[in-house]
Formats: sequence, structure tokens, C-alpha cells
Amino acid sequence: MSQLQCVVVTPERTEIDQVAEAITVPLFDGQMGILRGHSPLVGRLGFGVLKIRKSDSTTSYFIEGGLVQVQSDVVSVLTDRVTPTQAISRADAEQAMADARQLPAESPEQRAAKEKAIARARAMLRVASQ
Amino acid sequence: MANIRELDKRRKSIRNIRKITRTMELIATARFKKAMDRAAAANDYTMRMAQIVRDLANAGLETSHPLLEKRPEVRSATMLMLTSNRGLCGGYNSAVIRAAMQRRDQLRSQSAELDLEISGKRGISAMKFRSIPIDRTYTQFEDEPAFEEVAEIADRLMEEFISRRIDRLDIAYTRFISISKQEAVVETLLPFSQPEEEQPHQDEQKQLVVNYEFLPSAESILEEVVPASFRVKLFKCFLDAAVSEQIARMIAMKSATENAGEIIKQLSMTYNRARQSKITGEIMEIIGGVEALNK
Repeated sequence: MSQLQCVVVTPERTEIDQVAEAITVPLFDGQMGILRGHSPLVGRLGFGVLKIRKSDSTTSYFIEGGLVQVQSDVVSVLTDRVTPTQAISRADAEQAMADARQLPAESPEQRAAKEKAIARARAMLRVASQ
Repeated sequence: MANIRELDKRRKSIRNIRKITRTMELIATARFKKAMDRAAAANDYTMRMAQIVRDLANAGLETSHPLLEKRPEVRSATMLMLTSNRGLCGGYNSAVIRAAMQRRDQLRSQSAELDLEISGKRGISAMKFRSIPIDRTYTQFEDEPAFEEVAEIADRLMEEFISRRIDRLDIAYTRFISISKQEAVVETLLPFSQPEEEQPHQDEQKQLVVNYEFLPSAESILEEVVPASFRVKLFKCFLDAAVSEQIARMIAMKSATENAGEIIKQLSMTYNRARQSKITGEIMEIIGGVEALNK
């Protein structure tokens, strides 16, 4: 039986490449768990926590948007940035939220950017308060 | 004979220069290796992205996105020029500037308004010398451009394109083809064209069409894919430019070192000749003096 391979790549480098039992990815509208033998899938990611479970240890990372692709037991996560969740402090998250609220929202593009920044800060807050 | 001392002094100073150029060559080599590794590490993302794009195309999806839209009339354009912050890298900067200027003249002849954005102090000073107005400058990019900083520029440019403030984006940079070949090119990034299939041969082998489930929909995925590909494409340009710069510096410094060696050789020869003729002259004088005494 083949194993589930989890690959996380950012534009700069391949961050994670390991075998896992179960993976939870933050889709744009909620979490999704992936086990071995999942059907092929391309999904859009949001801001949130990526969990990789291996035997009895779970590592989690905060990822910021991107895409996930599942094909023949390889889960590729393409994202802009990966941070271990421990590295996100409450102060950082609150700062991000304050910065996001300061953004201007005059044009539709600016509003979209602001909403994105707020969503990111919210997700960071959620992670930090855990 | 002041000439001999002069020659020796010159030889010493050239030896010093050779030491410096040799060290710079070694530094450039080390930096080149690092930059090359980074570029290779970035390839993974590009490949996977291209794979998803192919799968989307296989799923029979009509690719339409504001960034892909071709504008019939180019009224205003932006040109981004990637040069280095430091000199001593041979023809690296001048080649990029020459290519960019050609494109600039061409665009201006079509009566398009052109904004110029420059990364690198060398390009900035060259434009100032030509008294060409510059709209934005970046000097933070060294031999390891960070994706985050590039993404910021990419996001701003995309926004300008979508809101129709610009109709076209060109980028002048040095493309890395192989270690022995890099060329200065001007590419049009916006309107964006989907990355071509880079390895069609590999693809033909595994022509199994996978039926993907798209969450939430293929269109939504495309909305994410196109800007992400653009960002990564721009990032790749910066990486290519960084690698090419180090190669150019390596080659320039290598030839400078070799040249210094050559000059030292020639100077040594002249120095030895001058020294010998001086000694011969002195011996002749002594012999002449002895003979005069014997008489």
C-alpha cells in the first residue's frame, strides 16, 4: 500500500516533504481532512492551519492562501508562506489585525485587499489563542 | 635609474589588484552557487503550478481572467528594469539598459506613455546620466531577492493593470539560459500569457487524464492560479537576474585576474631587462675605470 506523501512548496523553496497518516488543510471555506486514497482534487486554500499527523505526533503550520492538489496519494500544497504555529504570538496577530484595520478602503481593489488582510489577521488570532 | 623603481612599484600595485580581483571572483563564485540553489529550489513551485494549469486546461476550462486580457490599444505602459546594485560585472548592466532603451523608443514611437521602474543602483544612475525620468526605484534587491518583496511589487502592478491604469507591463532583465549563456531580454509580462508547457515530452508519456474535483470551482481556482503564476513569474525574473549578475561578475573578475597576470609578466620582463642593462652598464664603467688606472 502506498503512503500518503505531503509536500509543501513556497515560491522560494520546498518547505516540507514527508510521509503522513492524515493531513488537514484549510480550504477557503473550512477545514478538510485528507487520508490515503483520496480522489484527485484541486482546492483553493485560505488562511489557516495545516496539520500533518504522523503516527501519534501532529505538527501544525500556519499557511497563507494558495492551492492544494491531491493526486495519487501525493498532497501538494502551494502557498506563499509557511510558519510553524508556535512561531505566531498573540502580539503579532494583534499587530497584524491593527495594521489590517488601518488599511484604506476607497476603491474596490483596496477593499478587497483590506478584507484579505483582515481575514489573515483573524486566522492568526485564532491560531494564537489556541 | 628611477625607471627600475617605477617599474617595480607598478608591478607591486598590479599584484595587489590581482589579489583583489581574484578574491572578488571567488566571492562571486560562492554567491553564484547560492543564487543558483535558490533558483533551483524555486523551480519546484513553478513546476507544480504549471501542472495545475495543464490539468485545468485538460478539464476543458476556458481560461479567462482580467490579467490575460489583451488590450487593442496601449496607451500607457510600465517598464521594469532589473539591474545590479554594484558594478564590476562586465557588460551585465549595459546590455540590460541597451535592450530596455530600444523597447522604450519603440513604445514611445507608438505614442504610449511609459513609466519606468528600476531596480538596482547601476540602472538608476545610468538613467540619471541620460536624464530620463524614473518613476520608482528599488535598491533592496541583492543577490537573494525575497519572494515577499517581489510579491508586493507584483500585487501593485496587477492592481494597476486590472484597474486599467496601465495597459502593458514589460520587464527588462538578464535571462539565465545556462552557465555559459545569459542574455538581456525584454519580455511582456502583462497581459499575462499562461506558462507554456515546458516539458511536453514527459507529458506525452503519462497521458492519463485525471478527473479532478475542483473546490469550490474551476473558475475560482483559476482566479487563484493566474495571479500566483504572475507573481512567481516576476520572482523568477528577479532570481534569473541575480544569478546572471553573479555569473557576469565572475567572468569579468576572472578575465581581470588573467589580464593582471599578463601585465605582471610583461612588466617583470621589462624590469629584468632594465635591471640587467643597468648592471651591465655598471660593470662596463668599472672595467673602464680599472683599465684607465692600469695605463
